[in-house]
Amino acid sequence: MTRSATPKLGAYTALAGVGLLAALVVGRPELAALAAPFALVLVAGLSLASEPELERATFAIDRERALEDETVDATLILRTERPIGRLELLLDLPEGLETTGDNPRIVGLDWDARQELDFTVRCARWGGYAVGDFVLRSPEVFGLLVHEWRLEQRQPLRVYPRGEALQRLLRPVETQAFAGIQVPRARGEGIEFADVRPFVPGDRVRRVNWRATARRGEPWVTETHPERNSDVVIFLDTFLEARQRDEGTLDLAVSAAASLVTHYLREKDRVGLVSFGGVINWLHISSGTVQLYRILDSLLDAEIFLSYAWKDIDLLPVRALPPQALVIALSPLLDERAVRTLLDVRARGFDLAVVEISPVPFAPAGRDELDKLARRLWLLRREALRSRYLRLGVPVVEWDADVPLQSALEEVRRFKRHARFVRA
Amino acid sequence: MAGLLWLAIGLVMRWNAALIAGILSLGAEQAVRLATGSGKVDPWMPVYAAGFLLAAELAWWSIEPRVPAWSELEVLGRRLLAIATCCVGGALLAALVVLAAGAPLHGGFALELVGVVAAVAAVAVVAAVARLPVRAE
Repeated sequence: MTRSATPKLGAYTALAGVGLLAALVVGRPELAALAAPFALVLVAGLSLASEPELERATFAIDRERALEDETVDATLILRTERPIGRLELLLDLPEGLETTGDNPRIVGLDWDARQELDFTVRCARWGGYAVGDFVLRSPEVFGLLVHEWRLEQRQPLRVYPRGEALQRLLRPVETQAFAGIQVPRARGEGIEFADVRPFVPGDRVRRVNWRATARRGEPWVTETHPERNSDVVIFLDTFLEARQRDEGTLDLAVSAAASLVTHYLREKDRVGLVSFGGVINWLHISSGTVQLYRILDSLLDAEIFLSYAWKDIDLLPVRALPPQALVIALSPLLDERAVRTLLDVRARGFDLAVVEISPVPFAPAGRDELDKLARRLWLLRREALRSRYLRLGVPVVEWDADVPLQSALEEVRRFKRHARFVRA
Repeated sequence: MAGLLWLAIGLVMRWNAALIAGILSLGAEQAVRLATGSGKVDPWMPVYAAGFLLAAELAWWSIEPRVPAWSELEVLGRRLLAIATCCVGGALLAALVVLAAGAPLHGGFALELVGVVAAVAAVAVVAAVARLPVRAE
């Protein structure tokens, strides 16, 4: 607890001190009389000043998980034995959270008092936070001294990015052996109609297509596609980001990743995450709600960690990128290491799609001609990089916050169709 | 006039520094008036002193943030009682000083020593307070 003087204390001290000294110098007792009440307040205030004491403080939030833009209710309960005439409370929130009501609050606490204070916290940005740091100030009764101390009642709060609703997802070239809702090109046991063909010994009777049989005069059976799932790996580039004020390419990438993960897992696919940057994290592919929360929690820890060490895909364990998986890379394509790594992924035969989180809106053009020229060259280099990916059969689509993620995915889908045609 | 002007500015703009300037200016104006006035001791000086303190206390009270919890009758009463006690106590102390000034005491080494000690003590209090970190409100 720190104790500091208020401006009032300085003024009263100056008045009392200068008044008494002036009375001595000038020889006028009235000046001492004028200063006497201020000296009395000083003596009374300083001698009566005692450290405010909270008997107990309890802080609680109504939930530990929230989505971006949601609000969380928090309650602070204070108990005192001795009165605190005036107590100023500031809920010191980390960047990314903000209060919607009054902050700081000012309260008065009586003898054996119990005060309940409600706060509403708005989750402005995704992330993992610790909420419950308070800065408390209490001036003594005459307002000459202020006591200030911190109260730490931290509660964890995880704010998940608010994903976008997606109608259609990107589909990998190959599906996996597990049951899902995707229709592969292969034929097998399922309910999706594929074709009809003549009956051969061994076909089950329930497969007989009676209409086709009646029309052709011989037994025909219906062929179906099985329902399979697929493996999807979200590749998050965390080498570099372009940022302006509260928003950056990493925020957009995390938001897009959350949307994709949520939707793929909802469709019974297996999803993994590779966060590739200064620090490399990965989650092996799996499915289900547990995996959803595992990935979302991992996304909250995604941050830019500057490193100059060269890193390539060999650093990842083999299981992090399972065979025949669709790799969706979310990258601003700003770091050469990420660019090379993605090319390496493609060279290893993975089905790769790059959603380029455009850094262009975060890098406005300069005012002078040289800045404008530099920007044009930078844009041209980015264009050349995209062409390089396209030549290698990797769809690259530029995406920014003003465009729905769905339209970016549709662009990728359209490209892939052409790519297969070219390869064929 | 300068003191009143500063005080008015401080009250209107809720500005601490202007209030300090106002109170100090009023004190300085009063000191100049007394220093240049007649040698007769003003019997109403304790009332002036208490009024001066009351004005200062009310000025600082009025620039504090408005909080519903402090408008409760009990809190209000307690605050008023504290200010009134200080003003009355200050007036009594000032009256004591005025009475002591009128007392037929003859100067001497002991009395001068008390005066010097009092002056040194006043300076020491000022120095001690100056060492406290000041918190801007």
